[in-house]
Amino acid sequence: MTGMKGRGAVQAIFALTFAITAALILTPLASLLYGSFRSAGPGQPSVFTLRNWMDLGSAAIGNTLVTTCFISAVTALASTAGGAAMAWLIYRTNFRFKRSMVASVGLSFFFPGFILAMAWVILGSPGGIFNDILEEWFGIAWLKFDIYSVGGIVWIQILHIIPFAFFTLRGPLIAMDSSLEEAAYASGATPWQVVCRVTVPLMLFPMLSALLLCFVLSVEQFAIPAMVGIPGHVNTLATELYLLTSFSPPNTGLAAAVGLSMSAVTGLTIFAQRRVMHRRGAPTVSGKGYRVRPLNLGKWRGVANAVSLFYVAMAFIIPTLALIYTSAIKFFVANPFEAAYTWRNYLQIWNSPGMMRAFWNTIFVAGGGAFLGLILGTLIAYSTHRLKPRGHRTLDILASLPFGIPGIVIGLGFLWSYVYLPIYGTLWVLVFCYMARFLPYATETIGAQIVQLDKVLEEAAWASGANRIQSFRRVILPLLRPALQSGYFLLFIAYFREIAAAALIYTASTQVLSISIWAFFENANWGVASALSIVTTIMTVALMAVVARASLRL
Amino acid sequence: MGIVVRDLVKRYGDKTIIDRISFEIGEGELVSLLGPSGCGKTTTLRCIAGLETPEEGFIAIDGTVVFDSSAGIMIEPYHRDIGMVFQSYAIWPHLTVFENVAFPLRIRRDRDVDKRVMRALEMVGLAAFRDRSSQQLSGGQQQRVAVARAIVHAPAVLLFDEPLSNLDAKLRDQTRAEIRKLQRELNVSTVYVTHDQAEALSLSDRILVMRDGAIRQQGTPVQVYGTPVDTFVADVVGPANFLPLTDAAQLRSVGPVPSGPCVAMIRPDRIVIGSGGDNQLSGTVRQRLYLGGHYEYLVAVGPALLRVLSSVTVAEGETMTLSFAAADCIILAQEETPTWA
Ligand SMILES: Nc1ncnc2c1ncn2[C@@H]1O[C@H](COP(=O)(O)OP(=O)(O)OP(=O)(O)O)[C@@H](O)[C@H]1O
Ligand SMILES: [Mg+2]
Repeated sequence: MTGMKGRGAVQAIFALTFAITAALILTPLASLLYGSFRSAGPGQPSVFTLRNWMDLGSAAIGNTLVTTCFISAVTALASTAGGAAMAWLIYRTNFRFKRSMVASVGLSFFFPGFILAMAWVILGSPGGIFNDILEEWFGIAWLKFDIYSVGGIVWIQILHIIPFAFFTLRGPLIAMDSSLEEAAYASGATPWQVVCRVTVPLMLFPMLSALLLCFVLSVEQFAIPAMVGIPGHVNTLATELYLLTSFSPPNTGLAAAVGLSMSAVTGLTIFAQRRVMHRRGAPTVSGKGYRVRPLNLGKWRGVANAVSLFYVAMAFIIPTLALIYTSAIKFFVANPFEAAYTWRNYLQIWNSPGMMRAFWNTIFVAGGGAFLGLILGTLIAYSTHRLKPRGHRTLDILASLPFGIPGIVIGLGFLWSYVYLPIYGTLWVLVFCYMARFLPYATETIGAQIVQLDKVLEEAAWASGANRIQSFRRVILPLLRPALQSGYFLLFIAYFREIAAAALIYTASTQVLSISIWAFFENANWGVASALSIVTTIMTVALMAVVARASLRL
Repeated sequence: MGIVVRDLVKRYGDKTIIDRISFEIGEGELVSLLGPSGCGKTTTLRCIAGLETPEEGFIAIDGTVVFDSSAGIMIEPYHRDIGMVFQSYAIWPHLTVFENVAFPLRIRRDRDVDKRVMRALEMVGLAAFRDRSSQQLSGGQQQRVAVARAIVHAPAVLLFDEPLSNLDAKLRDQTRAEIRKLQRELNVSTVYVTHDQAEALSLSDRILVMRDGAIRQQGTPVQVYGTPVDTFVADVVGPANFLPLTDAAQLRSVGPVPSGPCVAMIRPDRIVIGSGGDNQLSGTVRQRLYLGGHYEYLVAVGPALLRVLSSVTVAEGETMTLSFAAADCIILAQEETPTWA
């Protein structure tokens, strides 16, 4: 009778999974919809109104929309082109520094956007290091630039998103049958002709897909436009929403309408991207794809080296150096020879009671929350890919909705709902919010692995007498271990560095480290913000190393 | 002169894949590279195409030096006058049949694209498919498109890498004949890589038998089949029986006799059941397989098992007399580690 018992339990677990997912995803969305028709903020007496939706048509919001689309379009085009060029350089030519380049791009992939933005403010604000050095040392004032501008936002976002484009495009490029390109060489086509007539056309769908994803990433980007856009009076939809909510008089109703419209843009883009993906990707067959004849760059090698080094310098090395420098000086001076060096910023972190609290909050939210998120993601992925009970399609759609919802909008959704819920003012608000926001990360990582597992493995367990739950525990879970580990790593990093979703809903007692860094920086305390960035970066790397070691030994 | 390869060496890391091989391919000649998997056939072909850069050696195509390590010459593949058919066909999915075939002409800015493409498509019997998307082709049709693309610009040499290995048996035989006819018509020097001995024997003017990156024997199909230089070649070019001998004088044979331990090589179809030949052996039938029209017998002769093809009916377990002519008995040196065991 274990079979019957197993089946009942499976149904109960599916029902629970479904209910939790629906609650996590639909609560903020429904609250936003409700809020967008209310005349006052959450928790206040209000009446039904259409004002918020009508205010969407105002010139200010219209301008913001145009700015956002412009920034995102340029960012997406440049990042996709940059990522594609980098992938081509590394996987198709005799470029010399392939390994170190992949490693560096991987590092910049994990370099949080808000820390990058911070570093670039230190470098590129009117009194920043670059500008000062350009003028004082080299006397070339015309090269000076102002990071607090549309160009500044685009620049930092491109640096930040190129690694994403690279990692999405390299898979299809590696999988592409290289004899398709060799056949063109054998037909007499020069390398440039091969790229234009064969490689790019064959990579068209993957590149289009990457372009759309980069566009969404850019639209929903909050930290970068908040740090360099708000001081320069350049608003994107994400920062507009933040300003509407956080500065008095708050207009949370209009913010809700903005948030929903924004989700419509990103959601539709994601939908288009899914359609593109379902069209054929790059053709992948080939018995002997392993030997790609690397193209000889010849005299272009120097150019390739220079451009790659430039990217790594701009996206990673120089920002890190700028942060280290800023963390070690008393008062900000651009010229390192005139600075007074000190440990004081680091000591301040150590001595501040608020910091300890933020630290433990972060451990709770990122360490524990990621674990919950992983469990939920695994249950969803297993249900939608394997069990497929009635309702699994709905669950799949629910779980992938957050792909199309910007972080700040999910945060706003929770702001509209938590006042009415018992979790108000606790860390659980952040945990639930992050779980909802990053649910697709978990379901995609685990789902990809589940699809790979031959169904026969599980059936063999059933045939050996294990019921569904036993076979899941004893066969599926152990086989999923690598995916679970990388899923946890991904979620931990994402929860750890999130600002967008938390910006609207944190309180003094639920502050986490990412928010602390941001807050210090906004209060012009660059030194402590830099010191804290460096400490947390070292901490995460160390922590992840320990986790990796420990799980290896298990 | 079609192709000249001299002292070619190719290494991957410290592994030598091609070990100083030399050969020449005459004008209009079709030469097969035959050998077991991993012996370096594809690598040799790719060196000729320029898709692989050898460490040492000299390669000339149609009188033009395309590679010379001592002179530092390495002509890129796209500047070599070649047509190549890949094992996976490498048909570009984003182009139609016509455009796939037209590609080499468009690259060369040929004025006669339409006429030449149609002529090539007609030669492979695909004229009616010109506007098809290349996604809507069967394996055999894709293979023909690949051939049409390789010949359309009338290259000096044609390079084939196992072009038939992805086709089913019947289509393979038919296409084999067509490739031979096409190559004769075009009279183009051709290198044909295969590990199928029947393909090599039926198609080639000459066969190069390769092993571990070296050429063991080269010659006409009749030469390599009839008078292999060692047991490896004998085994690669066709079905072979090896009979260990204690003394080379045990059997009557023609040709040179090596010193040291040796084996007699007799092709299964050259053994006759019954007495009468120069050599006679007696053995017991271990197994009989009916192949339609004739039987294949496994006959135990002393410690050795011989394959015999015959239409004579003998029951399993019976003893029989086998005979064969001295001309069909080749004495070869015994290898330390027989590949055929
Ligand atoms: N890029 C590479 N790196 C290392 N070794 C390689 C590489 N390419 C080929 N080899 C090795 O070179 C040897 C010869 O390979 P090659 O493809 O020429 O064999 P082949 O005769 O064509 O075999 P097959 O009949 O299986 O196609 C093999 O042992 C193979 O493992
Ligand atoms: Mg091969």
